[in-house]
Amino acid sequence: MENHPAKRILIVEDENELLLGLSTLLKAQGYLTIAASDALFGISLTHKEKPDLIILDLGLPAGGGFHVLENIKSSTITKGIPVLILTAQQGVDLEEKLRFMGAVGYVRKPFEPELLLSQIRDILNK
Amino acid sequence: MKKQNKSQELGLNLILQELKENPYRKFNLAFSLMVIMPFLVFLYILVNRLFSFNILIGNIGAILLLSLFISVCGFFIGVTILKNILNKIIAYAAQAKHSDQLKSTFVATVSHELKNPLTSIKTNIYNIFAGFTGQINAEQKSVLELCNSTVERMTRLVNDLLDLHKIEAGMVDVRRKACNLAQVAEKQINELLTLADKKSIRIVRDFSDTALCIWADEDKLARVMNNLLSNAIKFTPDAGTVTIKIYPVDKFARIECIDTGYGITADNLSRLFNKFERLDTVKEGTGLGLAISKDIAEMHRGKILVESEVGKGSKFILLLPRDLRIKKR
Repeated sequence: MENHPAKRILIVEDENELLLGLSTLLKAQGYLTIAASDALFGISLTHKEKPDLIILDLGLPAGGGFHVLENIKSSTITKGIPVLILTAQQGVDLEEKLRFMGAVGYVRKPFEPELLLSQIRDILNK
Repeated sequence: MKKQNKSQELGLNLILQELKENPYRKFNLAFSLMVIMPFLVFLYILVNRLFSFNILIGNIGAILLLSLFISVCGFFIGVTILKNILNKIIAYAAQAKHSDQLKSTFVATVSHELKNPLTSIKTNIYNIFAGFTGQINAEQKSVLELCNSTVERMTRLVNDLLDLHKIEAGMVDVRRKACNLAQVAEKQINELLTLADKKSIRIVRDFSDTALCIWADEDKLARVMNNLLSNAIKFTPDAGTVTIKIYPVDKFARIECIDTGYGITADNLSRLFNKFERLDTVKEGTGLGLAISKDIAEMHRGKILVESEVGKGSKFILLLPRDLRIKKR
């Protein structure tokens, strides 16, 4: 287990098994995790908790991930929170579109857990 | 359009939405004009008393009436035939349009429904293996390793199936830019060094022109090179050699991947690029790698050739045009 300051990460993911897996993975690294399983709850938790990082799925019920990203980046209170996209979606311009919308990174499912952890470390250490 | 099924109608609606107008309306207008014009001419003749019934008497009159009858029949037959052709073209286009929509939906569904559970399984296996959910013993670890390798195989299969489907459905964009072949090859060699080292396989670089560039999609080109190189490493016995040669030949760049492996029989050579075709000697892989590589080469107006001798090894040759911008078709 690595010694991190207790950074708080919000995971917005509708697949419960993955939510559990990601929480376990991140907690084992010393992070504090908050979980939301739909878009609206994700937005509401972002405003309430103001986490250090948001891991966001795109295919979400109640609005979808794009809506969450747009909402977070259009609010002066939350726009500084880095958002890392975790998605199974693919597209020629998807990464560019996400970066243009303000996402700090894009990880394609299925991902290597080590790769995800190293991206998270890079983002939080910036 | 009465005989169309629901999917065709759906496709037709999409086409009409895109056209923002109904092509039948214009078609009917054109034919109405064709009827109105002769009618107006006939009216003009009658009004101005230019017409005489005398011309309708006798043989000449019979010929005139017959020709008029034939013309009218011809006109209506022509209209019917043209309308049928237009109907068929639109129905075909509608079906194609709807089929494209179905393909896109299929890709999105497969992506979501298969990749998400795979990600969950993979992450949770990792957590248990790493001991994040409590200590496990060596035997449990080895079982988890087996599970993980199965997940890896399924992931590869899902990705390969999606890639192949997208290529064949024409849903893949080729994003061409100047690619340095030696650099792309070097990157792939580095990725596969661990695999080669495990079998003590020596990788030889024979780049006659390290500055050789082609106009290609770098990611897709890298995928082909990775496929050819990883196959070469997989099918070469321990302590063998895999050589990668890159050199220009006229307007083409020639990339050769030569191994000192088991070689391929003539029978297997003919089936090599078929989808899901795994040769008798092969136990791993999805059987899609070479089919995808062939498609990618063809997307770049290139091709993949193979020469092989059983017991001596194989040579895969990737031939790609150096600059597609010059040769426009």
